Amino acid sequence: MSSVKRIRLFITPYLGLIAAALAVAAVPLVTPDRYVLKVLVYVGVNVIVIAGLALLFGHAGQISMGHAAFVGIGAYTSAYLVKTLDAPWLVGVLAATVLAAAGGLVLALPALRLRGHYLAMATLGFSEIMYVVFREARAITGGNDGLGGIPYPEVAGLKIDTPVGVYLLVWGVALLTLLLVLNILRSRPGRAMRALQATENGALACGIDTVGLKIRTFALSAALAGLAGALYAHGVGFISPSTFGLDQSVIYMAIVVVGGAGSLAGPTLAAVVLTLLPYADALVPGLSKDTIAVMQDWEADIYGLAMIAVVIFAPAGIGGLLKRIRLRGAGEVRS
Amino acid sequence: MTRAAAALLVAVCLPVVGCSSADTGADEGAEPYRIGAVLSLTGSYAGLGIPEKQAIDLEVARINEAGGINGREIEVIYEDDATDAAKAQAAAVRLIDEEGVLAIIGASGTGHTVAMRSDAERAGVPIVSMAGGSVITDDFSEWVFQTPWPNRIVIPFVLKQMAAAGRTNVALISDTGGYGVDGRDYVLAHAQEAGVTLVADETFNAGDTDMSSQLTKIRAADPDAVLIWAAGKEAAIIARNARQLNMQQPLYGGSGIARQEFIDGAAEAAEGVRLGTGRILVPEAFGEGTEAYAVATDFIARFEAEYGAKPDIFAGHAYDAIGLIADALGRIEGDVTSEALRDALEETDGWVGIDGTFTYSPSDHNGLTEDEMVLYVIEGGTWRLDD
Repeated sequence: MSSVKRIRLFITPYLGLIAAALAVAAVPLVTPDRYVLKVLVYVGVNVIVIAGLALLFGHAGQISMGHAAFVGIGAYTSAYLVKTLDAPWLVGVLAATVLAAAGGLVLALPALRLRGHYLAMATLGFSEIMYVVFREARAITGGNDGLGGIPYPEVAGLKIDTPVGVYLLVWGVALLTLLLVLNILRSRPGRAMRALQATENGALACGIDTVGLKIRTFALSAALAGLAGALYAHGVGFISPSTFGLDQSVIYMAIVVVGGAGSLAGPTLAAVVLTLLPYADALVPGLSKDTIAVMQDWEADIYGLAMIAVVIFAPAGIGGLLKRIRLRGAGEVRS
Repeated sequence: MTRAAAALLVAVCLPVVGCSSADTGADEGAEPYRIGAVLSLTGSYAGLGIPEKQAIDLEVARINEAGGINGREIEVIYEDDATDAAKAQAAAVRLIDEEGVLAIIGASGTGHTVAMRSDAERAGVPIVSMAGGSVITDDFSEWVFQTPWPNRIVIPFVLKQMAAAGRTNVALISDTGGYGVDGRDYVLAHAQEAGVTLVADETFNAGDTDMSSQLTKIRAADPDAVLIWAAGKEAAIIARNARQLNMQQPLYGGSGIARQEFIDGAAEAAEGVRLGTGRILVPEAFGEGTEAYAVATDFIARFEAEYGAKPDIFAGHAYDAIGLIADALGRIEGDVTSEALRDALEETDGWVGIDGTFTYSPSDHNGLTEDEMVLYVIEGGTWRLDD
């Protein structure tokens, strides 16, 4: 491999990130539409969650059917601290992230002794338990009907209460998250995760502390979900249990599968596309209301079809396709 | 790659082909007034949202055929909140920011109305709610109006009826949604005034499919009667379970169970259930010859001709919501904005609807009283005025 190619392989992922940053910055210049920006806030929040889940499932190979619960822990923690207890916004967000990480840690300690289906069952149980907590701890969560009027983000006396401000905040955090995850993947822990995913015994034999690695990855992934939840709560201003239920956890997993295990760009792209699907009318002019209604009714089915299509036609997901295109561009495809 | 991408593309694009040619009927150059509606068309409150949509469609068609308002038609943009507070909030944001509606009708549920509130206030768009929680107008917002009789009107009425029938030891079973919680709070606070004692207080969640454990506890408390305070489809399960447990106590309820879905769902077990609500179920209660009677019978006849079934109270709430908005639009002089519409709604004075005669004021956005209440008993699969 020539040194030019080596540099190119090293830089390519960051190029993607830079391109994404430019695109993020360009959106408010292109469209002042409040609704588009609000929809893109949902997308940015999901990108943060997916970055963490791509690390956990896509690279370390550990399944989580309870990620929406971590998002919920973050959302309710920050909302309660800032709205009810009048804590500063940054404190709320920090507490949300830490508490979600702690939740991840507590779940990971026993659960990561389990593998495959059993781990899926354990995390699924956690998701259901948290759903009940969100509904029943009414003094904190507002119960079934949720918590409204959550204050906008406020940093050092500066209130971020415009759609553009919230959009830039959420996407700024999302890009930093992607950078963080990318760097982890390109350093020793990332390589250890890939070894773990390929063969746990092999990884152990190479001197990797697989249990510690799994627990740290799980906690980090949960922390990112909690951070996303806090941003969601303050950006949208309203949260209720149904947003953090099992079906949302399944959607997160579906996004990572469609995006492709072992990739970061793939799941990120899948998060953007699949989150935008029900809001296509805001972005594609001329789509009729009925079309959107049909798409919203069939949202779960579209996700399911996309997953089946990926498993049959492109087992490596969008990430695998991107890689193939890149390698083909570099003239290195051999069959 | 190409096949997978093509499959996804086809899945996304197929519906586009089918539905893009609808929209835009006759318009004489003037833009229609755009009104949003957030209804529970699916989920636990589907039995509320569907008749509400039917009533709105019926009234909008009538208004537009008669030449619209100020020569402009009304266009209603519907959103389904799937009986989910988060979806109701998202729907309100969409209607305000994407559709630019003048006002929002909805939601069907109390919690869902409350969820939409802060976005409507921030944007300055009036909401006309069709939900019966007291909190909607007690926790006052200058932007939120309400068409049904709130719990603060219905509950004292029902409790007094129970006391008058000598059923003073009352067991309550309520849901944990906005309407149930709101109602429970009201019962707890006002039972004593009405002359009843609460001997059991049980709750359930929307979506629960069995109430036997709550009812077993209620049976153990040996009440004279059981009061059901819920708006979802689960109320029918309570009636059925009570029958299965061989409970002899009469069941009472309010507006939340005043619908055919309850009778159909509970079947035999609905017989003898008493409920306090407005007059639309038996319009003779308005008093023949009154303006309210004429309004109600006209609406019932048109609704039945269109849909083949009598309207229930929820259709009435929706008739009032769109009617109040149309009335207010007609009174606006000058530019029609959300703000002007809000002001006009607040100036509503003596508008005769289905739920009563509405007079709003800067401190009262419901404008109804206990005088609108009557007590029904379910017999032979339908309602009859209790005597």
